[in-house]
Amino acid sequence: MSAAAPTRNAEPGVAVRVEHLSKIFPDGTLALDDVSLEVREGEFLAILGLSGSGKSTLLRCINRLIDPSRGRITFFGEDVTAARGRELRRLRSQIGMIFQQFNLVRRQSVLQNVLSGALGRASLLPSLFLRFSEEEQKKAHACLQRVGLGDRASSRADALSGGQQQRVAIARALLQEAKLVLADEPVASLDPALRHSVMRHIEALNREEGMTVVCTLHDIDLVRRYATRLVALRGGRLVFEGKPDAFDDHTFREIYGHDAEPAPHAAVQ
Amino acid sequence: MSDLRAQLEEKKNSPWRKGMRRLQALSIDTLLLWLAFAMAEFLLVAFSGRRGDSGLLLIPEQILGQLHYAWLLVAAFVAATLWNLFFKLIGTSLGRAAVRGVLPEEENLPWTQTWRGWFLALLIELTFFSGWLITEVQLLTFFTKFNKASEIVRGLMHPSSAIFAEGLVLLVQTVFLAFMATAFAIPFAFALSFVAARNLTRGSRGARLAYTTVRALMNFVRAVEPLVWALIFISWVGIGPFAGVLSLWVHSVASLVKLYSEQIESIDQGPVDAIKATGASTLQILRYGVVPQVIPPFLSFTIYRWDINVRMSTIIGFVGGGGIGYILKPQVDLGNWSEVGTLVLLIAVTVWLMDFVSAKIRERIV
Repeated sequence: MSAAAPTRNAEPGVAVRVEHLSKIFPDGTLALDDVSLEVREGEFLAILGLSGSGKSTLLRCINRLIDPSRGRITFFGEDVTAARGRELRRLRSQIGMIFQQFNLVRRQSVLQNVLSGALGRASLLPSLFLRFSEEEQKKAHACLQRVGLGDRASSRADALSGGQQQRVAIARALLQEAKLVLADEPVASLDPALRHSVMRHIEALNREEGMTVVCTLHDIDLVRRYATRLVALRGGRLVFEGKPDAFDDHTFREIYGHDAEPAPHAAVQ
Repeated sequence: MSDLRAQLEEKKNSPWRKGMRRLQALSIDTLLLWLAFAMAEFLLVAFSGRRGDSGLLLIPEQILGQLHYAWLLVAAFVAATLWNLFFKLIGTSLGRAAVRGVLPEEENLPWTQTWRGWFLALLIELTFFSGWLITEVQLLTFFTKFNKASEIVRGLMHPSSAIFAEGLVLLVQTVFLAFMATAFAIPFAFALSFVAARNLTRGSRGARLAYTTVRALMNFVRAVEPLVWALIFISWVGIGPFAGVLSLWVHSVASLVKLYSEQIESIDQGPVDAIKATGASTLQILRYGVVPQVIPPFLSFTIYRWDINVRMSTIIGFVGGGGIGYILKPQVDLGNWSEVGTLVLLIAVTVWLMDFVSAKIRERIV
């Protein structure tokens, strides 16, 4: 679905390569400590860890909402960490993002929120007056249909329920035609009953649109149900990498500390 | 990655920064001690009953002119230096506490058990008593001499209808004057407020420089009274309402920039991140991530500013800036208290109405 990007130095099958990534915040917090991993094209990679383990920082380093202190990230062979200005914006436009708090523009319409996914390719002047081409608008409507909100296009974003808002955010990533979707605790603020409906839409991005998904989660049940591969962080370090079914009680304690209780409901926090 | 962390620590504890903090603490202490010494000398002289050359008791202004400021400064500097050198012996000084924090063993002490606490208490006492003398507070006169003002109050309570029509016309001018000043201020304040918001200007050295420049300039403009601006503009464009519009405009831009930019600084970063993540450019991020969040409070501040401008334009009128103040001044000078009463009443009703309406509108917006 997405446009072909220049593929110099690209290794086949690797969407993101993270090399020796570290992040220290100005207050001295070591959020990431020498993390290296690769995200394979087309996979649904879950990142597991306690809050404060660096999951969120890792995601935000990939699209440079946070600048890493050390290390290198490549996205389909292109160096994200070195990108500046227009180059960085072009890379970002290929990476969708879904947030725990949805982060919609609350006072704008649902359609307008979806359309903001097209900002990376929209021409500047009309976009400043909230104008988008006929074609983009059609696409945006189609994206809303896909997430089951076709009838809410003209509602104000903050009139929607949490689950609906998150589906709008998914529609935004859909319109963005991203090659990679970063989802930061996408269901942590939602009612447990709504989690699967949102997760299934993210799964659809992965299976039907062929988008690579990197998703932080803290619920092991969700990881086992949706992820194709799993990495775990603890204190900013990578402590586990493998298939979700290789993730047993022992590794669970490894990540969450020995006080944690894996059974019977493996939901943490 | 402990080397990274060590670098950060080192930067924080570099000798230069340490030295700067010491200097800061010392300066604060010197300044506070100087103030305390000066006020103490002032009070001593005032209560000593010393007489001037004319044989009369010295009045506070004369005493203020005779204090030994230079010697007191030297004494304060010596005392501050000693306190900062021997802080382990006598407890942390105020300056050191403000800049570098207190010693761990002092953390939970009540103020009565530290020199710092006593010094602060003394400083407050000294300020109050010096203030009492310097502003020549006379409670007795205040409570016994009301009859002298009763004529004015009686006049105010019996407004005359003679000036009502003229007052009403100028009142309309006042409201429009305030409105035009506000309207002209909006585009300037809107554009400048983005530059004056710290959270949007962290990106580059140039942005930070622009931030500092705009902030400093606006603080200066705001510090100059609208009355002074009015005098400048009256000699520029002549006596009349336009001079009033300009002087309130300048002041409104400065104060709206402050209000607007503080609002921008308190927005939710989430939508900004979300828009940034789509690959949007800086202008698009502002348009989609920032502007929708700040429009309602901006509107509210603007209406509030109009309200303030109506009140301020009265005073502007005193010096020739148009509006109702323009005819209020001669009536005050002539002592026509009934006419003054009419005008004051008109102003009061307008201000009350503006206040009421703007509160209602703002309620609906936010």
